[in-house]
Amino acid sequence: MSKTLNRRDFIKTTTATTAGVATIASGITLTTFAANANENPVTKDKRWGMLIDTNKLTEANIDGMVSACQKEQGWGNEAHSTGDQKASWIKKLKVKDKATGKVTDLPLMCQHCEEPPCVDVCPTNASMKREDGIVLVDRHLCIGCRYCMMACPYDARSFVHEELTDQREHMPRGKGTVESCTLCVHKVDKGETPACVASVNSDAVIFGDLYDPKSNINQTLKKVQSAQIRADLDLNTGVRYSGI
Amino acid sequence: MVRLLVIFIGFALTGITSAYENPISGHSEAAQSTKQHHDSVSVIRKMHPEFLNHKRDKTLRQGVRTDENSLKGCVNCHANKDEKTNTYHSVNEQDQFCSTCHQKVSVSVDCFSCHRTTPGASYKGVK
Amino acid sequence: MNIRYEETQGRSLGFYALVAGLGVLILAALGAVYYMEHNGHHVTGMSNRIVWGMPHVFALFLIVAASGALNVASIASVFGKKLYKPLSRLSGLVSLALLAGGLMILVLDLGRPDRLIVAMTEYNFKSIFAWNIILYNGFFVIVAVYLWMMFERRMNNFTSKAGLAAFSWRLILTTGTGSIFGFLVARQAYDAVIMAPMFIIMSFAFGLAFFILILMASYKWTERPLGDAVVNRLGTLLGVFVAAVMYFVAVKHLGNLYLAENAGVENFILLDGGIYTQLFWYGQIILGGLIPMGLIYHPALRGNRSTLGLASVLVLVGGVIQLYIIIVGGQAYPMEMFPGKEVLEGYGGIAAYTPSLPEIVLGVGGIAVALIAVTFLVKFLPFLPESLADKVTDPHYKA
Repeated sequence: MSKTLNRRDFIKTTTATTAGVATIASGITLTTFAANANENPVTKDKRWGMLIDTNKLTEANIDGMVSACQKEQGWGNEAHSTGDQKASWIKKLKVKDKATGKVTDLPLMCQHCEEPPCVDVCPTNASMKREDGIVLVDRHLCIGCRYCMMACPYDARSFVHEELTDQREHMPRGKGTVESCTLCVHKVDKGETPACVASVNSDAVIFGDLYDPKSNINQTLKKVQSAQIRADLDLNTGVRYSGI
Repeated sequence: MVRLLVIFIGFALTGITSAYENPISGHSEAAQSTKQHHDSVSVIRKMHPEFLNHKRDKTLRQGVRTDENSLKGCVNCHANKDEKTNTYHSVNEQDQFCSTCHQKVSVSVDCFSCHRTTPGASYKGVK
Repeated sequence: MNIRYEETQGRSLGFYALVAGLGVLILAALGAVYYMEHNGHHVTGMSNRIVWGMPHVFALFLIVAASGALNVASIASVFGKKLYKPLSRLSGLVSLALLAGGLMILVLDLGRPDRLIVAMTEYNFKSIFAWNIILYNGFFVIVAVYLWMMFERRMNNFTSKAGLAAFSWRLILTTGTGSIFGFLVARQAYDAVIMAPMFIIMSFAFGLAFFILILMASYKWTERPLGDAVVNRLGTLLGVFVAAVMYFVAVKHLGNLYLAENAGVENFILLDGGIYTQLFWYGQIILGGLIPMGLIYHPALRGNRSTLGLASVLVLVGGVIQLYIIIVGGQAYPMEMFPGKEVLEGYGGIAAYTPSLPEIVLGVGGIAVALIAVTFLVKFLPFLPESLADKVTDPHYKA
C-alpha cells in the first residue's frame, strides 16, 4: 500500500467534498436571505427585558400570567411528577416585609441575567445567552447534570422528570433535560410579546428593548423606581420589578 | 485496514441502496404542498443530518427562523394521516417517515425525545 | 531490605464469594439505573428543589476519597518516608478504583447519560464541572503513569517525579471538587472558599480509611504477614486527619455564623434542622469524628486491629453523612431571595427529600465497582508485597 498515493487520494476526495458542501451551503445562504423576516442573527444592539409593577398587578393577573405561560409552552400537566418535581417556569410569590408587614405578590421566572450563573457553570455550553440577552437551554447539548439549577439564584429552572409527548411544536421539551422561561423567544423573534405579558391587559407588565431610548420600557425605567431581585449578586437582570 | 474500510463502505452502500428501493412513505401531504423547503431528494436524503444540525444552531442560538430545513417543516409535510381516525401518525413510529430508513441503517433518532412528532395545531393541514 | 511484590492467588472460595457478592451489588445498581432512566427521575426522591440527591452523595464521597487514597503513595515518594514505600502500588490502585466507582455513579445519574460524548467534546472553560472532567481524566492518566514507574524497574528513578506530579494533580482535583460548591454564589450553604481546603482534608481522612480497610482485609484474607509498624502508623495518621476534618468543619460553621445572611442556614444545620441537625451532631461529629478518635487514641486500644477497622468504617460512614448534610442539607434550606423579607407562598420552606431505594442501590453499586476492581487487579498484577512484617518494612526494626 502506497502512502503517497493514499494521501493524494485523500486530499482529492476532501477537496471534492468540501467544494460540494460549499456549493450546497452557499445555496442555503442565498435562499435564506431571500426569505422574509428574522433571517438575520440577533445582535447585541438589543437587550430584551421586562418591567413588572407589583403595585398595579393583582393576584388574578399573576395567576393569568402563569396559565398563559402553561398554555403557550405546554408545561404543567406532567402526569407522574409530584410536588417539587413538576415543571415551573413561572410562579406566583407572596412576600412579606419583615419590618412593615407589607405583603407583595409577584411573578417569578428566569430573570435573563446579563451575567447568568447558569451559563457560567454549564459544562457543555447548553445553558446559553443569546446576543439579545435571552437566556436559553440548548437541549441538544444538555446532559441533565442539573448544575445550572444549583447555580440559579431564582429557582427558575425545572428538570423534566418524566417522558413527555405531544409537546408544542415551537417548544421541544424532553425527559432528562433542564428547561426554563424562554421569554417566549419564538414569539419575540416574530415581533410579538411574551405570552405572560400579553395576558395582562394593562401597563403593569411592560416588555421591550432595554437599550432602545424610544421604547416604553426604557422610558418607564428612567422615570420610576425599580429593583432587581438579588441585586447584590450584580447579575444585571433583564427582568425588573417596581413596587418591591 | 483497507479491507476493513471496503467492508464498511460496502455495508453503508447496501444500507443506502436498499433504502432507495423502498418507497418512502409520507409523501401524500408533501406532494400536495406547493412549497418545497429543501433541495432535491438525493441531496436531502444524504445531507439532512448536517442541514438539521446547522439549522438548529442558527435558530436556537441566533434566532434565525426560516422554513428552510426546519424540523417542524419535515414533520408537517411528511407525517402520515390515518384516514380512519383522522389523526396523524408520529414520524418516528414504526414504518413511518423517519423510521423506515433509520431502522434499516440502525441509526437512532434523538430528535423526538424532545421534538413534537406530529404537525402542531398551527399547521393548516390539521383536521 | 528488599520488597517482593506478588499477585494474590484468587482461587479460594472466599475470593469467589467476594466477587459474587460485589457482582450482585453491581447488577442491582445497573438495574436501578435502568429503572430510573427508563421512567425518568420522577421515581427518585429528587426534585427541582433537591436536584442532587443520594447518587451525588456517594459519587462525591468516592471521588473525594479517591484523591485521598493516593496520599499513602505520596508520603513515600514525595516526602521520602520509607515505611510507606511498599504500600505505594496499592495506594495508586485504590485511588483509581474509587475514582472509577464515583464517576460511574455521577454519569449514570445524569438526565441523559447517553450523551456522555457531549460532555467529552463540548467544553465550557468557565465551568468548574468542565474543569473537573479534565481533572478526572488527567488523574487516571497521571496515576497510571505513576504506577508504571513503580512497576517498571527501569523507570523506578522517575517515581518521585511522577509522584510529585500526581500529588499536585490530586490537590488541584480535590480543590476542583470542593469548588463545585464553593463557587455557588446563589446558595448560602455553599458560597465559601473554605469548601475547597475542607474537601482536601476530608479526602485525606476518607481515602486513608478506605486504604486501611482494604489493606487489612487483603492481608488477612491472603494470609500474608502484616506488621504492627505499618498498621499503627496508618492508624495514628487517620486520627490526625479526622481531627483536622473536625477543625475545618468548626471553622466553616463559625465563619458562616458571623455573616447575618448565613445565620438562617447555620441555625438550620446546627440547631433546628430536624433530621439534618441530628445527622450533623450524632452522625458526622460523634459517630464519624469523636468515636473514631477515641478508638484510635485510647491507650487501651492501641494496636488493636479490630478497633482500628471499626474506626475506619465509622470514618467512612461519617463521611457519607457529612456529604449528605453538605449536598442535601445545603439544598433543602431555601435560598435567601429577598433579604429583609419573608416569602409566604410560592417558594421557600424546607424542601422535602426521601432517598429512594434505586438511588441508594446505585450509590452502593459504585462502591462495589471500586472494590471489585481492586479485587481483580491485585490478582492479575503484583500490587501487594508478599510480606509487610515489621522486619521488612520498619527501617528501625530490631529483632
